Amino acid sequence: MAWPPPTAKQSHTPPPFRWGADLRGPLSVRATVAAILLCGLAGRPQAPTAKPAAEYAGSGTCAACHEEVAKAFRKNPHQRVGTGREWKGRACESCHGPGAKHAESASAPDILNPAKASPTRSEKVCLSCHSGQLAQLGRIHGGHGRNQIACSACHTIHGRPEQLKLNNAAVVNRQCRSCHTAEWAEFLRPHTHRLIQGAMACTDCHNPHGSSRPRSAQTVSGNEPGCFRCHGDKRGPFPFEHAPVRLEGCGACHEPHGSVNPRMLVRAEVRFLCLECHSNVGSRPALGGIPPAFHDLRSARYRNCTICHSRIHGSFVSRGLTR
Amino acid sequence: MRLLGVALLAATLAAQQPAEQPQPAAAAERNLTGTVDFGYRALSGVGGDFQAYRSVVNLGEGPKLFALDAAFQDPSHRLFDRVDLRMNSWGGDPYNTARLEVRRDGAYRFTADYRNIAYFNFLPSFADPGLERGLLLNQRALDTYRRATDLELTLLPGTRIIPYLAYSRNSSRGHGVTTFVVDANEYPVPHMLRDHSDNVRGGLRLELARLRLNMEGGGITYHIDQQVYTSPERNYGNALRPVFGQTLFLERGNQSLDVRGSSRFARASFNLQPAGWVELAGQFQFSQPDNRTRYGQNNAGSFVDFSRLVLYSSELVALDSRARQPHTSGSFTAEIRPWRGVRILEAWLTDRLHSAGSALLTDQLLASGRPLEAQTLAAAERLSLNYHQQEVSLLVDVTRSLTLRGGHRYVWGNAETPPALIAGQPGPEPELRRHVALAGGTVRAGQRLRLTADLEASPGDRSYFRTSLDRYQRGKVRARYQLRPSLLFTANFSVLNNQNPAPGIDYDFLSRQNTLAAQFTPAGGKRISVLVEYTRYTLRSRLNYRDPASALRELSLYRDNGHAGTGLLDITLPGRGAVQPRISAGGSMVAGTGTRPARYYQPLGRLAIPFGARGEWYGEWRWYALSQPFYLFEGFRNHQFVTGFRLKM
Repeated sequence: MAWPPPTAKQSHTPPPFRWGADLRGPLSVRATVAAILLCGLAGRPQAPTAKPAAEYAGSGTCAACHEEVAKAFRKNPHQRVGTGREWKGRACESCHGPGAKHAESASAPDILNPAKASPTRSEKVCLSCHSGQLAQLGRIHGGHGRNQIACSACHTIHGRPEQLKLNNAAVVNRQCRSCHTAEWAEFLRPHTHRLIQGAMACTDCHNPHGSSRPRSAQTVSGNEPGCFRCHGDKRGPFPFEHAPVRLEGCGACHEPHGSVNPRMLVRAEVRFLCLECHSNVGSRPALGGIPPAFHDLRSARYRNCTICHSRIHGSFVSRGLTR
Repeated sequence: MRLLGVALLAATLAAQQPAEQPQPAAAAERNLTGTVDFGYRALSGVGGDFQAYRSVVNLGEGPKLFALDAAFQDPSHRLFDRVDLRMNSWGGDPYNTARLEVRRDGAYRFTADYRNIAYFNFLPSFADPGLERGLLLNQRALDTYRRATDLELTLLPGTRIIPYLAYSRNSSRGHGVTTFVVDANEYPVPHMLRDHSDNVRGGLRLELARLRLNMEGGGITYHIDQQVYTSPERNYGNALRPVFGQTLFLERGNQSLDVRGSSRFARASFNLQPAGWVELAGQFQFSQPDNRTRYGQNNAGSFVDFSRLVLYSSELVALDSRARQPHTSGSFTAEIRPWRGVRILEAWLTDRLHSAGSALLTDQLLASGRPLEAQTLAAAERLSLNYHQQEVSLLVDVTRSLTLRGGHRYVWGNAETPPALIAGQPGPEPELRRHVALAGGTVRAGQRLRLTADLEASPGDRSYFRTSLDRYQRGKVRARYQLRPSLLFTANFSVLNNQNPAPGIDYDFLSRQNTLAAQFTPAGGKRISVLVEYTRYTLRSRLNYRDPASALRELSLYRDNGHAGTGLLDITLPGRGAVQPRISAGGSMVAGTGTRPARYYQPLGRLAIPFGARGEWYGEWRWYALSQPFYLFEGFRNHQFVTGFRLKM
């Protein structure tokens, strides 16, 4: 449980590092210091920031004024922080920092409130414990991390466990919708995944903390695209692959949030969807062969490519993806 | 599961009884909390196309458990601290979900998720060559159920060494319609589908102060079983013209596909904070799915083989194939904070997927019961993909309320694909190469205003497909403004402009989405709350293609312009004590024009009357209506009435 470095306002509690303030200098110097630190990493717990015990007020003092918060916090998973060695009896201060001064003055500026602090600051409080969790690994790739969306924007820290960790699909979707209104509108179309109905949550497909895949998409079975969690019959590998499925993903042909076209296709007619790629004449190298001349588009048979090429996601049997 | 649902509902209702008698139930009331929502749904009858209704809405009549949300806290903390149970849409609805979570702090956490999702799709306008002849025969239909169960046990959560074990089963079963393709004709036939996979994974998390490690290994086995069969009647398929003077038909036929596969996968990740100003993280993932397929086909009727120019009456096909796909991914990220208010983000990732398959096929043709011609074909194909990405961003806190971001992303890779099927050309080996400029910013004004902007642009270089991102600009702006504690405005603007001006392609794509939303909740929404959302979207795509028959260049134009809106008004009427009726009215609608115009309305009205502090009765009306001017036969409308009780535990 490493406490993040305090701000200048809390300079009475010297931090172990001041965000590189001790390490200013040419990049090579910092790189050397980083290497030393890497090599010297002992893996032992960081001391809970050698702060004088007098600075802490204890959770009991906090509860005297913040009665409602303390009551709700008793059922919160974070309350366990206060039972460990490092923060015994000081669970509140594990996130809010030393509270003795605030307890005396009852003044808000005398204590850190992560919900009102800058996102960088409040994120650091949460990540001091949660940064290594699997869900957080793609944080830097994700849009929320890039845009400094604070953890408290989605998680209610003091509340009931279900407010802290959102498991109910309807609640998750409502939370995402509050910002992603345009994406929510896509689910109002007739052909969609069953998200509005509560059968799915946004987090079934996206990792809100970030992921190395585009659009923070989830993965399954190691590094396979998350789509295969449900659409297992499209997983393959196929002896006869359809290249776009692997190279561009499902989004090459489908609008996963919803479409006015059946099967959530990105085009109203199947032939255009196929022929837009399968027309490589006179163009610079791009994938997609040319259908032979007997494909007479005046006949309805040939306007619906998936009538014959029914195994369009890949075939175990036929190179032409027909069976 | 339905029995379990009924039992749980009964148990919950039984647990509800003591709430009426405060004295003896006081202790239990403190520990059992939650709500149960059950009732009955009635349908007015579906006007229009019932199959389209089932494909889009699919809600049925009958008694339902709409939602159950219960939490039990054990004050003795013997076996568990807390049990959470959640169930949604039980009683014949097309989407049933259940979740159970049991935990004891510091000892274990167990979660079980179950979901059963019906997938019904019978839309005659989709891929139906009979449509021209006025026949609404869907040739690609599905009526399946997908069930997924996920179990996960985590031991010693919150400690330094955390082992975990998880099991998932995913299965699908159902039937549909597909085509039996025999050379010059294709015949719509019934189709049976079944697949399932079992996935086991386990791992260990090591959480030290500056270093967190995670190692995970697991395996998956899967089985796909599909069968196509025919009825005894003659099926003339879609090609009605005689070939070589002979009418083609399928009299009987059978296709059987049996795929068995497995995969091992491993994942290792780390997160390291060697100093307060730097954080490093990395991940390595590997999987290697491998499967074997056995396929058998026999068909009898009247057929023609154009490649060999023979007419034949029956065919026997046997195939044995294998496929393997090693897939390796790795990523590394670093966050460096060299000075206060400055962050440098560096991200690098690689993804390598190599798929190889081989097949041996034996094809025997017979004419009037005599062997005509047999051939054995061996095929081997390979598809490989190497993808890499490197990105660096600089974030600067210009002021306390303004953060600006700029960066650069370089994406590169190459692919190897099988040779073109028909033209016999060697397979192209295209490359992917793209430089992307990144910019963005965040504006915060206290808790009231938040505005984020994400912009990226690329001059284009190499891309895989004609429709891939090439020369593009993408922008997203999100704003959130809390004018008053009771009034919140949200606005989203996004645009993607993608062009590929290469000769022979000339692709032009533009998509815009503008959304405005407002939420008004005076006095915390106790008396009245209003939610309004409006989205205007436009999509325009223009790309030429070559008509295969005439070889002439044609234009593929696609438009999708529309309005989507949601509105909800919630009013609490004056009443006596806790009995304060609530009226809700609103709904959502989409009205689109363009290549496939559609109007889809979902209005609703609801009246809820509480009785006592712990229960309420409600009645609800909903209307679903879909209309598509170009496909009027696929429209539907339907009134739904729901009445039920919502009880608090």
